[in-house]
Amino acid sequence: MRDRDLDDILRRAAEAKPEVDPALLNRIAMSLGSATQPVHALPPSWILATGLVLICEAAAIGGALLLGAHGVQRMTWVEAGLIFSVLGILVWFAAMLCVAEVIPGSRRPIAPWLLCAFCCIGLGATFALLFHDYATERFVSQGLACLGAGLMEALPASLAAWWILKRGFAVNPVTAGLATGILAGLAGVTMLELHCINFEAPHLMVWHIAVLPVSAAIGALAGFTARAYGPRRKGRA
Amino acid sequence: MDSDIDLQLLMVRYQQGDFGAATALVNRLSPQMHRFFLAQFVSRRHADDLLQETWLRIHEVRHTYRRGQPVLPWLYAIARNIRVDHYRKAKRSAAREEQLGPCSDVAEAPKARSAGTPDLEALLAGLPQSQREVIAMLKITGMSLEEVARATSSSVGSVKQKAHRAYEKLRRGLAGLGMADVSRGGPA
Repeated sequence: MRDRDLDDILRRAAEAKPEVDPALLNRIAMSLGSATQPVHALPPSWILATGLVLICEAAAIGGALLLGAHGVQRMTWVEAGLIFSVLGILVWFAAMLCVAEVIPGSRRPIAPWLLCAFCCIGLGATFALLFHDYATERFVSQGLACLGAGLMEALPASLAAWWILKRGFAVNPVTAGLATGILAGLAGVTMLELHCINFEAPHLMVWHIAVLPVSAAIGALAGFTARAYGPRRKGRA
Repeated sequence: MDSDIDLQLLMVRYQQGDFGAATALVNRLSPQMHRFFLAQFVSRRHADDLLQETWLRIHEVRHTYRRGQPVLPWLYAIARNIRVDHYRKAKRSAAREEQLGPCSDVAEAPKARSAGTPDLEALLAGLPQSQREVIAMLKITGMSLEEVARATSSSVGSVKQKAHRAYEKLRRGLAGLGMADVSRGGPA
């Protein structure tokens, strides 16, 4: 049997389905009609994404200024240029993904879990390329401090991102939470690169990068919780 | 293509508060959406409920549609979300009410159709949910691969793969049922 024959069978089978009750259609139309008000459509994706990038970078810079931007002062131009270029590109991708997640039927540039993996690999490769001090002094204690600081930075960044995206509608809150977590995690990593003066490769490759998956996992968990126990949606138009 | 441009114009007018556009959209898109729900093995009563709920959700989030974008992926992404929510709720309540008796509303068993017309439920019965959904979108709503990929938040390659696997299974199933001849000589 050819594909065309199967198409034909499926088409005829679908047409054989009973029609919708006209009274039901009338009821639906009347219920919508009684509450039809003009609404403002969401702005274009690039405007929302730019807003997300700016707000995340502002949060990262603000956090670093609060704690002291010692890390970036000790970096060479090459190190700073490469690290912040990579971070900028990843933040832009994460912002575009966050926007796609809250607009139903939009084209997703990349799956969120794949972006998380790319971010970890990309940052890991950048750190491996630039830093060659493999000492592991106070590896855990300093690492936990950086992980905590990065996650604390991710919290306001995720709240700011949620504020920008709150008019959208996430058809899948788990992946939307995951994407927002990645973006917030990148803000946390940016803050750590500005602030942290520990340039040991293992420290950077484990503890700084760990902010990303942990933040993404927290975002996904928040999305899951919202879907499972969140309140019913009310009109936001 | 013209049809999609019409839908886009209607959506924009709906966003501007035009009641006539809302009614036109409901009348035009509801039959295929209803068929889409029925193809997912929900009862007629539940398909009616899902249809109503989908339009209410569409109304709530109509501002998320952007001018110039295809309407069907936006709409079916929402419809799909409603169906998944419904499935989860039904599963939870079925688990709670297990002691009282089996839940019959979630998925009705496909019935055999007496006339020669192949029954959609029987045809799709052997397919996993994800493949059934893709076939329903491609064949019932007439969406393109790209549009289905957008509606299901996946890639075109993944949609193609699911459709291909579904066709393989359907072909085997139809051969087993002896329905291969339907395509050539069966009643329309």
